[in-house]
Amino acid sequence: MGHCILTVDDSSTMRQMITFTLKGAGFDVLEAGDGLEALEVAKGKKLSLIITDVNMPRMDGITLVQRMRALPEFKFTPILVLTTESDASMKQKGKEAGATGWIVKPFSPEKLLDVVNKVI
Amino acid sequence: MNRWFSGNSATGPTPAEEPVAPTEGLRDTLLRLAACEARMLEGQVNFLTPELLQVDSLVREAAGTLEDALKTLDRSVQHQHLLAGEIQAAMQSSLGGDSDGEAAGGNFDAMSATIMGTIDGFVNHIAEISESTVQLAEQVNDIRERSQRMETMLEELTEIAGRTHLLSLNASIEAAHARQFGAGFAVVAGEVSKLADRSTALSNTIQEQVLGTRQALERTDAHVHAIASQDMDVALKSKGESESLVMALRTSNWIVKDLVSQLEQNARKVTEQVGHVVRSLQFEDLVHQTLMACLKELGNLLEQAQAWKALEVSLKAGEPEAAALASLEATLGQIEAARVQFRAVKSGSLAAGEVDLF
Repeated sequence: MGHCILTVDDSSTMRQMITFTLKGAGFDVLEAGDGLEALEVAKGKKLSLIITDVNMPRMDGITLVQRMRALPEFKFTPILVLTTESDASMKQKGKEAGATGWIVKPFSPEKLLDVVNKVI
Repeated sequence: MNRWFSGNSATGPTPAEEPVAPTEGLRDTLLRLAACEARMLEGQVNFLTPELLQVDSLVREAAGTLEDALKTLDRSVQHQHLLAGEIQAAMQSSLGGDSDGEAAGGNFDAMSATIMGTIDGFVNHIAEISESTVQLAEQVNDIRERSQRMETMLEELTEIAGRTHLLSLNASIEAAHARQFGAGFAVVAGEVSKLADRSTALSNTIQEQVLGTRQALERTDAHVHAIASQDMDVALKSKGESESLVMALRTSNWIVKDLVSQLEQNARKVTEQVGHVVRSLQFEDLVHQTLMACLKELGNLLEQAQAWKALEVSLKAGEPEAAALASLEATLGQIEAARVQFRAVKSGSLAAGEVDLF
């Protein structure tokens, strides 16, 4: 059984590009448009990795990381933050929330796959 | 301090620039300024908002088209890769080797060598047969010569039989002259004559058989010579044609290998370019975020226009200028404080962003 990855971004284009890259490398991919939808989609799923944006409507990425870490089934699931934010303070917030890594947009497919293979 | 009071307005005239009639009071001037500022700010917002939304819509539509094109391109590359693999597998299968391209070439060379070896063996075998055929022709010729000699001997035998017959005839005549003393001799002469007749008949029969044999040998000799010469010609021609065929196959094999290699190289290049497209397409999101930040700023400008309208309303309602201005300043201060100083796009180029694993 292959790895299943949840990608969370309010931009349809970003979700498409992440999904395109990951599926091309043989991963199964689930999508959500914001933090709240991500929590719904993740219910009952065995996820190998979550990749989330930060600035999203309804629930932002940092809050999503905190909520995921509070759930026993996702306590140790790697979570990568993929965002336009590169401020050290924001990065620190992500780290404190429990994120595994921080990637600044735009990503290159090779680099993203390299990081994904490292954390999975 | 907001931009109006600091005298740094970028969108409207400053108090210093606004022409003030000497007879006009401060209230009237403020009323005109408030109305003018509110109108200008609303005008800018009303102009820029649909423009920015249209840019956002156009970029999104373009990105959507590019996404579809990218997926189609990716499917084509995958299909091309699959086809190249199938060609390689088919080559391997026909040559009975493993999946390595170099091994395919090696197997083909081995197969060519086997074919040429078989053909060489065939040609050598034909040459041996041809040599035997030549020997056979020599033997046929020898038999023919012997037949000719036999015919000569048979002619002599016929002549002897003729003479014997003549001799027996003379003996019979002499026996008749001798009357009763020659009766026994006449019987012998008669028997000799019969033997001479039988000998002549036998000789004729043998001559006919020998003639038939010689004719058959001549026809055989002609066929054997024809076979001997044709066998070698056909064998050498077949060998030449087979060598050409093997060379053509070998050339085709290398051309196909080269084409497959080029296909794979091309697929790698396209995959690399697809990576660039994936990275570039993400700028639709970055542009969208920037435009949304600009629209938020336009919302702030609209709030400032409302503040200026409120000043106008207050002054018209008779509120003292100082209090109305203080209220405006407070409102503008609140708007300034509420502004989110956020730059949506940090990236200054298309280069991929940094990665930091905690």
